[in-house]
Amino acid sequence: MLELHRLTKHFGGVRAVDGVDLIVNPGEVLGLIGPNGSGKSTTVNLICGLFPLTSGLIMFKGEDISALPPHERVTRGIARTFQNIRLFGQLTVWQNLWVAQNSAEQRRQNPVRRWFGGGGSAREDIGRTLEFFDLAHKRDELAGNLAFGEQRRLEFARAFAAKPVLLLLDEPAAGMNAEEIDQLDARIRTLRDTGMAILLIEHHVELVMSVADRIAVLNFGQKIAEGSPAEVQNNPLVREAYLGTATAA
Amino acid sequence: MDEYLVGVLSNVGVISFVALSAYLLLLTGEITFGQQAFFAIGAYAAGIATAMWGWTLAAGLGFGALAGALSATIVGVPTLRLHGLYFAIATLAFAEMVRILFEMFRYQIEIDGEWVGPNGADGFRDIRYIFENDISGMEFMLIIYGLLTVILAGFMLLERSRLGVIFRMIGEDEVLAGLQGVSVARYRILAAAIAGALAGIGGGLYAHLTTYIEPRIFDVMLGVHSLAYGLIGGLGTALGPILGVLIDIGLLESIRALSGYRMIIFGGLVALLLIVRPRGLLDERLVHRIGVALRGGRKMRV
Ligand SMILES: Nc1ncnc2c1ncn2[C@@H]1O[C@H](COP(=O)(O)OP(=O)(O)OP(=O)(O)O)[C@@H](O)[C@H]1O
Ligand SMILES: [Mg+2]
Repeated sequence: MLELHRLTKHFGGVRAVDGVDLIVNPGEVLGLIGPNGSGKSTTVNLICGLFPLTSGLIMFKGEDISALPPHERVTRGIARTFQNIRLFGQLTVWQNLWVAQNSAEQRRQNPVRRWFGGGGSAREDIGRTLEFFDLAHKRDELAGNLAFGEQRRLEFARAFAAKPVLLLLDEPAAGMNAEEIDQLDARIRTLRDTGMAILLIEHHVELVMSVADRIAVLNFGQKIAEGSPAEVQNNPLVREAYLGTATAA
Repeated sequence: MDEYLVGVLSNVGVISFVALSAYLLLLTGEITFGQQAFFAIGAYAAGIATAMWGWTLAAGLGFGALAGALSATIVGVPTLRLHGLYFAIATLAFAEMVRILFEMFRYQIEIDGEWVGPNGADGFRDIRYIFENDISGMEFMLIIYGLLTVILAGFMLLERSRLGVIFRMIGEDEVLAGLQGVSVARYRILAAAIAGALAGIGGGLYAHLTTYIEPRIFDVMLGVHSLAYGLIGGLGTALGPILGVLIDIGLLESIRALSGYRMIIFGGLVALLLIVRPRGLLDERLVHRIGVALRGGRKMRV
């Protein structure tokens, strides 16, 4: 599904991502962890095309997408959430989901329906999405008026509304309480079981260990370990990377 | 109806077009000081078409709209990468360039022994279509408001359509809009073209309302006002900029007791609102609340 080959991004002298190889398969949750500033968010930004690569290659469904602009990557089936919530606060919950419906399949709808309020199937999709993310009662509320937890859910819902085949989640559990994290865990599993490929960046160790099928670890922009949750947990390099930053901080 | 009132209302109507033009760009997040350029281009184009080429008013106004849209597209492409202050300055520079070009623009033909057409800084006199066709001031006012109603209906439709939502998305967060699969560049040019057409129609109406245009009228102050109308009236609905025009031209300029203080009150109002209500009187939140109240009780869609 997604293959990163020697992915590299330098910001001036900072090697934010430095020669990372990574594969995410359909129906799999790949956890991406690492200390602060190790290049996790930058990796996601590169996959969705927010900045050009310094070097390397991004292959998606067998095609090199390294040079495509972000909006074309979206239509090919890549959606994401942000570490710092990013929503259209002046639009309603429903509108946030409606405009996110931009996959190639969704674009083939009857244009009159698509441009004026969405056809029956588009509306049904939004209705189901609202139910799944427990936002149905907030449907006509402005996104900017939602509580923090609801905004997090809406962001996830918006990424889901695009019917992606690859979902990039950048710290979706940040700021959530235990109950919300449990719900998040369940939702990620449900989506994975539909065959979606999921890249999950998370500092919340319990969540990653529980839901990820495989875990890759970044440190200073380089991949230092990869394997099953148990393998990664017992890897001395990983322990050192985390302890190292813990003492430095 | 009193002739003075007809004059004031006609002015309000005509300026509303250029206010809506600046408003549309505000929706997509762009601050422009240059919409008066397209107003001027529309005014000259429509005036030339009816007074010199003998076209009908409708064809002349259509030509003005087209000229506005085309020139706005031509300016829109190179300024696509500019934002904020840089975009504002580029539009201002372009508008001043257009005004100076009109000061040098001479194109006259002889009709019934008189020279008709733009004559540089002296302007373009005798755009007499409404006199020659016996259209009264009242009738022309109705034409203006008829067109304005059509445009407002278009805006109401736009607000409910995906296109309107896309414009607002781009205005709020361009990067995030791109990540929803929106080709931001394409929609920004589309918005610029529509805005150019709106200003162009307004200019065409203005030329026929006053029968006389000169480059001096299309100066920066017109652009600044056009922008301010949306900022005062509110960015939540197309009625916002119209409210702004009503406050400025309908009240401040037209009521004698106030007109001497127009610039002071208007300037103060802009400053005050930017502080306490940065998205204007009818902002998105208020419009949303009104919408909910109006729909209140009615069953939710879907
Ligand atoms: N746009 C940018 N310009 C310059 N430097 C950047 C930019 N984005 C990230 N960096 C730098 O790249 C490095 C990696 O940052 P990144 O945000 O990818 O880390 P992260 O692993 O997501 O960290 P965190 O866990 O804190 O979210 C950091 O040193 C950061 O300062
Ligand atoms: Mg990060």
